[in-house]
Amino acid sequence: MRAWRRGSIPASMHLFGWAAVLLYAAAEALAVRDLFRPRGLGGAPILVGAGLAAQFTDLTITARTLGSVPYRTLGGSMALFGWMLGLAYLVLVLRHRERAVGPFLIPFILLFSVLGVVFPSHVAPAGPSTRGTVFAFHVTLAMLAYAAFALSFVLSLLYLIQNRQIRRGRTGILFARLPALDVIGRMNRTSVTIGLLVLSVSVVLGVAWARRVWTAPVDAKLAWALVTLLVYGVLLWMDRRGWAGPRVALLSIVGFILVLFSYTFVNLYLSHSHVFR
Amino acid sequence: MSDGSEAQILVLGWNFRGASGVLRERVAFSSDEVRDGLRRLTGRGLVSESVIVSTCHRSEIYGLGDGERAGDELARFVSEWRGLDRAVLEQAGFRRFGADAVRHLFRVAAGLDSMALGESEVLGQVRQALSIAREAGSSRGVLHRLFESAVRAGKRVRTETQISVHPLSIASIAVELAEKVFGDLPQRRLLLLGAGETATLFARHALEAGLRDLRIANRTAIHAEDLAGRIGARVLAWDELAHELPSADVVVGTTASPAPVVRRSDVEAAMRQRRGQPMFFLDLAMPPDIDPEVRGVYNVFTYDLDGLEEVAAENRRRRSREIPEAERILEEELQRFLGWYGNLSVVPTLTDLKRRLEKIRDEEVGRFPPDERERLRPLADSLIARLLHEPLRRLKAEKDPGKRMDRAEAVRHLFDLDKE
Repeated sequence: MRAWRRGSIPASMHLFGWAAVLLYAAAEALAVRDLFRPRGLGGAPILVGAGLAAQFTDLTITARTLGSVPYRTLGGSMALFGWMLGLAYLVLVLRHRERAVGPFLIPFILLFSVLGVVFPSHVAPAGPSTRGTVFAFHVTLAMLAYAAFALSFVLSLLYLIQNRQIRRGRTGILFARLPALDVIGRMNRTSVTIGLLVLSVSVVLGVAWARRVWTAPVDAKLAWALVTLLVYGVLLWMDRRGWAGPRVALLSIVGFILVLFSYTFVNLYLSHSHVFR
Repeated sequence: MSDGSEAQILVLGWNFRGASGVLRERVAFSSDEVRDGLRRLTGRGLVSESVIVSTCHRSEIYGLGDGERAGDELARFVSEWRGLDRAVLEQAGFRRFGADAVRHLFRVAAGLDSMALGESEVLGQVRQALSIAREAGSSRGVLHRLFESAVRAGKRVRTETQISVHPLSIASIAVELAEKVFGDLPQRRLLLLGAGETATLFARHALEAGLRDLRIANRTAIHAEDLAGRIGARVLAWDELAHELPSADVVVGTTASPAPVVRRSDVEAAMRQRRGQPMFFLDLAMPPDIDPEVRGVYNVFTYDLDGLEEVAAENRRRRSREIPEAERILEEELQRFLGWYGNLSVVPTLTDLKRRLEKIRDEEVGRFPPDERERLRPLADSLIARLLHEPLRRLKAEKDPGKRMDRAEAVRHLFDLDKE
């Protein structure tokens, strides 16, 4: 096999990435079909597991080529995010033995994995500020946290849909297949707790690493991450203090909008220290 | 069927459409009576196979026999057995033959012929009818396959359409809604307000749904104790209601109280104690037991009779919309069954058997060099003719159509004729 130029991976090389995409697509098809079958966990988690393995191989190849964790390219970070999402989905499904959320979650895993293979993977050589284990952990954990919050976002939407179905007495197929509110609520709590813990660790690592590199004491993205932590912290507190239910679901949706904002607007326009060009 | 003397599947029945409740009761059979009836039917040789389906809404006798004549004999048999006037029986009942009888059973198994469209219980009853007939030795090849096909058709309709998805009764709608709030309904506490007929009916339904922690509060304690004794529930003192409210997950109002029994302030206090854990209120009382203001309390679910009746009506409409798809599935299963059944008649079985042997002949003769093949072929032909002669004669000679079909099926099975 011809060795490709260090620092760039042609889209055609993402063989394992494409394999993962196909596996996720098959998992989604199976998950939708399983909605109409009464019992068991179905085959979707197995296919997602296989997809995760394939994508991991793809990410490893990318990492070797880049000589770093594959988040410094747009494609790489999308693929990594999709992978984390898949991992979080698998943990959630196995922990709560509840498969009905699959058809609604897997499309997101699929979307990010597709973006991961079609987006460019060209990068400049890693600068001194983006090397090292601390930085790698900081970014990877932040992504895992965002994946957990994305899961919580989808779960919250499902919660609100199911809540509405129950209140209106709509006992159709969606009502029948979506989990009970209590179950979605618990899955959401697991998801937010993981996200909160992981993001906290990521922020601490980030701050520790930044003290060596940054000149400015505070960065917009850091501030935004702290706001996100606060919102999800309040959410968990509300969940315990008698506000469980639709209000918590709504707050989780707000929290995720903050995350998206931090990923896009803050990254592009507000943060100066979080730019590594 | 290819020849006039072939046996036909037939059904003679009485259901809620044509027969009054009184008549249906007279022709309803207990399991023991079904066994006895099946033995007598086949014992007298009225039909060669028989299965009886008997539920509160229908009594149907399926048989394999000689068309109208068998139908007449079955009608006479039922009239003598149950001591009913034959004209009355005939007028209130129905008869179907051949594919119509098969289609009827498939519709019954799928719940399309039920009072509550798409109900699931009837599928179990059809299955049980077959198992009783097997024990009694009255069902063999044909009816056995017919009923198994009907059960499969019924299952397919329920899994591939939404005909049994939407609950129809007020109690089952309420239980399903509560299940989707709590997820683990059997572990939750149900508080019944009132101890009258509605409370009793709902309690029975709740027990069937798996709820075990039932509490009853009634103004007249003795009635509460009476009901509690019958259903294994605990009694709460009426004046401790507000105190006990926070521990209840589902509250069902059925009292005749002129004013609401549960007020908004009680529920707000209960929700504070429950730290916002949801509560489910079902008001089956008229005038209401649950103050309509309770509806606005956060994370509280409230339903009344009118609302649930609307849901039930909408669900009936939804189920009806599934009928065309259900009929399509049944027609598919019907064709599949009729394909098998058509092959059972003696003539196609003989043709298939001959073709199978000729195929073997061609394969075996083909192994020899061409010049030898010419010599071997007549030998092989004569072997086939001699081997087939006696079995064919016996197969055709059997007078009992059911036995003839059994034998045809045995031949099909032994030579694996249905493979192609």
